[in-house]
Amino acid sequence: MQLDKQQLPPEKFERVVIDNDSAERITKPSLSFWQDAWLRLRKNKAAIVSMVVLVLLVLMALVGPHLNGRSGDVQNLRHANLPPKIPGIEKLGIFNGVGELGGQKLDLYEVKKVDEYYWFGTDGLGRDLFTRLWEGTQISLLIAFIAALIDVVIGVAYGGISGYFGGRTDDVMQRVVEILIGIPTLIVVILMILIMEPGITAIIIAISITGWIGMSRIVRAQILKFKGQEFVLASRTLGASHNRIITKHLLPNILGIVIINTMFTIPSAIFFEAFLSFIGIGLQPPAASLGTLINDGYKVMEFQPYVLLFPALVISILMIAFNLIGDGLRDALDPKMKD
Amino acid sequence: MAEKLLEVKNLKQYFNAGKPSEVKAIDNISFDIYRGETFGLVGESGCGKSTTGRTIIRLYDATDGEVLYDGVSVHGNKSKAEVKSLNQKMQMIFQDPYASLNPRMKVLDIIAEGLDIHGLVKNAKERKQKVIELLETVGLNKEHAERYPHEFSGGQRQRIGIARALAVNPEFIIADEPISALDVSIQAQVVNLLRDLQKEKGLTYLFIAHDLSMVKYISDRIGVMYFGKLVEMATAEELYKNPMHPYTKSLLSAIPLPDPIYERSRVRTPYNPNDHKYGPDEKVEFREVTPDHFVLCSDKEFAQMKKEIK
Repeated sequence: MQLDKQQLPPEKFERVVIDNDSAERITKPSLSFWQDAWLRLRKNKAAIVSMVVLVLLVLMALVGPHLNGRSGDVQNLRHANLPPKIPGIEKLGIFNGVGELGGQKLDLYEVKKVDEYYWFGTDGLGRDLFTRLWEGTQISLLIAFIAALIDVVIGVAYGGISGYFGGRTDDVMQRVVEILIGIPTLIVVILMILIMEPGITAIIIAISITGWIGMSRIVRAQILKFKGQEFVLASRTLGASHNRIITKHLLPNILGIVIINTMFTIPSAIFFEAFLSFIGIGLQPPAASLGTLINDGYKVMEFQPYVLLFPALVISILMIAFNLIGDGLRDALDPKMKD
Repeated sequence: MAEKLLEVKNLKQYFNAGKPSEVKAIDNISFDIYRGETFGLVGESGCGKSTTGRTIIRLYDATDGEVLYDGVSVHGNKSKAEVKSLNQKMQMIFQDPYASLNPRMKVLDIIAEGLDIHGLVKNAKERKQKVIELLETVGLNKEHAERYPHEFSGGQRQRIGIARALAVNPEFIIADEPISALDVSIQAQVVNLLRDLQKEKGLTYLFIAHDLSMVKYISDRIGVMYFGKLVEMATAEELYKNPMHPYTKSLLSAIPLPDPIYERSRVRTPYNPNDHKYGPDEKVEFREVTPDHFVLCSDKEFAQMKKEIK
């Protein structure tokens, strides 16, 4: 006791006043939902790397076809079936223009007396595969962009109207969706080809008919969930218009899920186009798409594997990148869904 | 307490009307709320208290009956101006402070929503000034305006909800279980805030709750609901002293007291609606047994109650 008094003299104590003002203070910096999501996304290395890779691929798709000054559809039979040859790297023993001819390994560029370099080689008609690859990537990304756009515009609007207004409107709209979803997309495409030229327009129309259904269902479910929430009721008791409730309360809350879902629609749309082109009812030659390139490549896989290798690599990287970004966004935008 | 502010007349709210899944959420209830008073509405979960509040404020369209606010019918076809004026006079405080604030909006925009809709402020500066005033009224400070709802505790959120309701200068506030989602320590804070606001601004409350002790503390008059029907209505004091309907008696017997000796001997009277044994042709009505004390009863019960009083 005595010791305590010596070590803890009364003057060392200070009276604490309970201050209501400071009790209510919040010291943490204020972060909006998007700032918070970005912090979480930044920690996800796979998603960030995928984003960088994706940006590079998009850049290449835009500038790649113009890099070596060759056109993707010019045939030069004298230069047919050349393996890849890249200046600089050729000295390392790869990409040096060596290919098999009659069972012998030869530098085919010397054999055919070609002075130029074909970075990714040429196909059986002597077309430059580098240019064709990036043209094909362009098509794939265009399809991806259009699929995303249709998803967001038609899917969100349809699901939103159906969910928000409910009742009879909802009943009718959902029956229509059920009919549409019962038709396989492949059949829609085949029917399309009966009445129009196979090509990118047919694919886009096919995606427009059925591609947005998944999104519309998700949006409808989300709208149904949010429109009964008390903050929406509060807004209604304040006299808010439908317009205000939709734009200020509902859309900001479902935006995260819309973005996530779009990121997962894109790879499936890319794959769908590649698949159609591969089986021959998508893009028609001479137009290049990743699907047609892979189709060309797999026929000569044993002798000229490089024809298949590059488009296969690009489509795989595209799909993986979009999926990883989608995954990262899902974790960042919807932390509750993680488990 | 003379002037009637709100009259509820034979209000009915049926969900899925006419279908096998029909639910009579509110089944023919009538009551009045006088200007400046607090009317408490109690009852068990699912008895229609919240539905009553929401129907009064037009969140649901009434199946039948009418609600008069200041002599003007609330339901039915109304012009935009009428609806707007009703929306401004009547406001609501919600039960769940976690669901009643939009997670994507700043507190500033949440509170200012009413101001924006009704055009009560001219520019952004005035808007912010008004919001800060409201925040201070409910005991928060101006730094809170720039923050998002998830940064606040339940009690703080509930006060933000109150500030939002106050923004449009309402006369009548429906408080739909405003304290049942809060800690007991915070409940008093919110209830006292509501009382202070009532004194200061002359507000009228419809206070919906299932916590009888809290309702008694805040209400002038209390209505007891059971399965969509109002079974008893009296002043707070009278209801506690002389409960007449067996359901009210049962409710009162269930209140725990912080007194171990009393608690040991407290017996809960269960309520079974079949005990009334109403005959098929008996008229069960809401009758005034003593002045301002109404009970839902049959003729026989009415006579019995009258006799017991004398």
